[in-house]
Amino acid sequence: MDDNLELPNNDGPEIRVGDNLEEEDQSSGDEDEGPDWIKLMPKAARPVIPKRGDKEFEPSKQGGSGLQQHILQRARNAIKSISYGTWHPSLARVSVTVSRGISIGTVGHSVPRETAMTNGTVKTQKRMELLPEEAIYLIERGSLLCWKESAVEYPNDGTFESISGSPMTVQQAYTEMIGKEDLTMDRYQVYAYLKRLGYTVTRTKPPTAFYPLTAPFPPSLLTLTSSSSCNSKISALFSSYSFDWWRPLRIRRWLKMDKNYSFIFQSLRFIPSGHKVPQYSPTETQTPSSPYEPFFNLYKPPTPFKKSAPPPPDYQMVVVNARTTPMPSLRELTAIYDNAPELPPPQRRVRNPPQIQGISYKNLTGTGGSDTLAQSQTHNSNTPTWMSSPSMISLLPHGLTSWLYAKPTSSLQKVERRPNPFAVLRQGKKTAIIATVDAGTINIFRFAQGAFETGPWF
Amino acid sequence: MSSGKSKGPNKGGARRHENDRIYAHPLPLIFSDPSSSRTRSILGLLGLSRSQVINPHCEGYYDPSTRSVWVVNQRDSEILWRRGFFGKGNLSRSEPSWFVRQVKDRKSRQVDSGANKMTSEEIREKRRADRKQFKLDRAAAIAKVAAEAETIFETEGRVVVPALFGPEIPSGSTWKSKTAESERESSGSLENAESKREDENEGEEEEELLEDMEHLQLTLSEAFFLAWNFDCLTILDPETACFDEPLSLPEIWTTFQQIYLAPPIPTLPTPELQLDNPFLIHYAVYHHYRSLGWVVKNGLKFCVDYLLYKRGPVFTHAEFAIVVCPVYEDPQDQEVSITNLRNASPFTWSWLSTINRANSQVMKTLILTYVTIPARSRLSKEMLKTPACFAHYSVREVIVRRFIPARMRD
Repeated sequence: MDDNLELPNNDGPEIRVGDNLEEEDQSSGDEDEGPDWIKLMPKAARPVIPKRGDKEFEPSKQGGSGLQQHILQRARNAIKSISYGTWHPSLARVSVTVSRGISIGTVGHSVPRETAMTNGTVKTQKRMELLPEEAIYLIERGSLLCWKESAVEYPNDGTFESISGSPMTVQQAYTEMIGKEDLTMDRYQVYAYLKRLGYTVTRTKPPTAFYPLTAPFPPSLLTLTSSSSCNSKISALFSSYSFDWWRPLRIRRWLKMDKNYSFIFQSLRFIPSGHKVPQYSPTETQTPSSPYEPFFNLYKPPTPFKKSAPPPPDYQMVVVNARTTPMPSLRELTAIYDNAPELPPPQRRVRNPPQIQGISYKNLTGTGGSDTLAQSQTHNSNTPTWMSSPSMISLLPHGLTSWLYAKPTSSLQKVERRPNPFAVLRQGKKTAIIATVDAGTINIFRFAQGAFETGPWF
Repeated sequence: MSSGKSKGPNKGGARRHENDRIYAHPLPLIFSDPSSSRTRSILGLLGLSRSQVINPHCEGYYDPSTRSVWVVNQRDSEILWRRGFFGKGNLSRSEPSWFVRQVKDRKSRQVDSGANKMTSEEIREKRRADRKQFKLDRAAAIAKVAAEAETIFETEGRVVVPALFGPEIPSGSTWKSKTAESERESSGSLENAESKREDENEGEEEEELLEDMEHLQLTLSEAFFLAWNFDCLTILDPETACFDEPLSLPEIWTTFQQIYLAPPIPTLPTPELQLDNPFLIHYAVYHHYRSLGWVVKNGLKFCVDYLLYKRGPVFTHAEFAIVVCPVYEDPQDQEVSITNLRNASPFTWSWLSTINRANSQVMKTLILTYVTIPARSRLSKEMLKTPACFAHYSVREVIVRRFIPARMRD
């Protein structure tokens, strides 16, 4: 590099001088980047510096005159919608005064507060408030400018930044907000990670009465893991014929149904198994408070989310610190399973589906799907004529059988495939999702409640 | 292990049929019906059957130092391995194949035969030798290409970057095993020499008579499973074997428990039976999965306790890896316990991540099997004298998988 460019200086070299304010006003878009000392170098040795954005101007020595600030502000508003808010340490909330932009659409809840109006009366107004994690996230993104609540009341009309000083920095936001309202650094990191991926994240336990309650799961899906009734197999074993513990397998001499391997395996299943078996706990011990409670509700990105009436969440997540908290015990996991919904069996993914028009593959999983597919197959012009007549014939009994039985038994059954047995076993009945944070590294595990005893058996 | 590649005359489909035939029975008991098909169908309509249960009646010796039962008889070993994959040959990788390998070794020293059906150990050795050779060949080819690039640079001044891939360098798919070709070549030349050496062969065989030195080793859980549920294994104590009296079931039951409670100094009295005996806990898990139809084998290779196979190790790779986690119903019992149970306290996240990562690399799903140990206050020690105590234990599974939010978005 040239010698005279080695020392940094504010003025720039002789090529361009000082502010370019006059030119700036006329053509801010065509401005080159500032000092163009690249042109001083010979063509062969020019390094490639990536062009990023246009700098509007160099700030003058006082730190930005009023005109420059105004122009800066105008440019900012043109590029990005920014919201404004106030941080209230006593409430541990940020109240949003001006809300703009898309990222503020999924966060926050509305809370009625009493505010003193300018004409002296006290009115209850609803305003939007953000939880600390939401606020830090937006400030970090640059979508929210937040001021700390001060003793001086200023009007809530969004143009007060000229008198109240500069907004909270990101560092200040972290210092102020982490630790308030159950927000630890670990939880914030998980929150920010998921938000950046596009999920909508809310809290499972409402911190105040004003926080919107999520819709409960449909009661059919909420089966209690440990029921009070006994394991039916054990009671049957003991009540029917006298079960000899020294000879557990009895194959009756003449009965045909005993003479196969599945009978043998079935009669060997006498050890109590499965999560439905009640867990005995001695009553004297009090259960100490456990960190294993779902903290966040997750909604997948495409889910339409209504802030006032949130739907039941897709996932519920626990956040723990990997170094200080041990793995959950069976009791803690059972407590999570008690509140979790039962999952439907996983569906087979249809790979390379044949090209048939007019069928949406989302409908292919139920019996209804196979019917529509059957009808469309006869209309498919690609099938040669000799094939279409058997398919017509097979349709008739198919239609008849569908009257008589619930499931069609024709060869078209193949289209609606039952889920892969290994996938069923692997998914389990209920899940607990636990995020472990180890000094910034996030590892998320799924602990699924297994149900091997309900089959499939091999 | 059957694989997709063809090995000699047994290509994939034939080998599968062969395996289906040999390993047709999932348990040592066999049903056989002597009646004609007409009688069978008539009786079948009434829900009756004349088929009988055939019990193979195998025999084994109990060895306390290895905590296992040895099946020395060759017929019994074969039956127990082929009907349910019980046990492991002590000189082999899984199936007792030591004798077969020795015989083939001798034959190959005498006559270089073509590709026969290979045992799994031989397949493994061949695979390792092939891979070693492939790496040597590839390194030589890369060196050659680099040397050519050097000479080009020196002579012409052109810069040619020596490639690590390309038509001249063998990759996994293009490399051909040279050993197979060389074997065939040498077998051709040796056939001439065979006739000359035939006289010498007979002399050699007379010297060493090959005796099968291998036995099938059953773990205590497997042995108890066979003896208790099917009554197809009689266990003899070698110290009293001369009296030819097998151990009775109650004796087996107490002996197998006490082996885990044996005091470090034999002169001290054996402590009384405990509820949290590792034998009881591991047997409960073994029995649970066997009763569901899985083949349960040892999981030492993957940092876990057991592996579950759908039909057996010769058919597919194991699908699930089991870690046994005992749980005390009463936490106070854990403090006064004299048996040091592994995994009784929840382990650290780093260890869980380790096991999970190791197993997902080999496409197995990790399962934590929790076995609850009844509280002492609830169950007296007298119950431990019979297997009726199993009614008070319980087995449940938790499946561990990673949750990757970036991939679960839709």
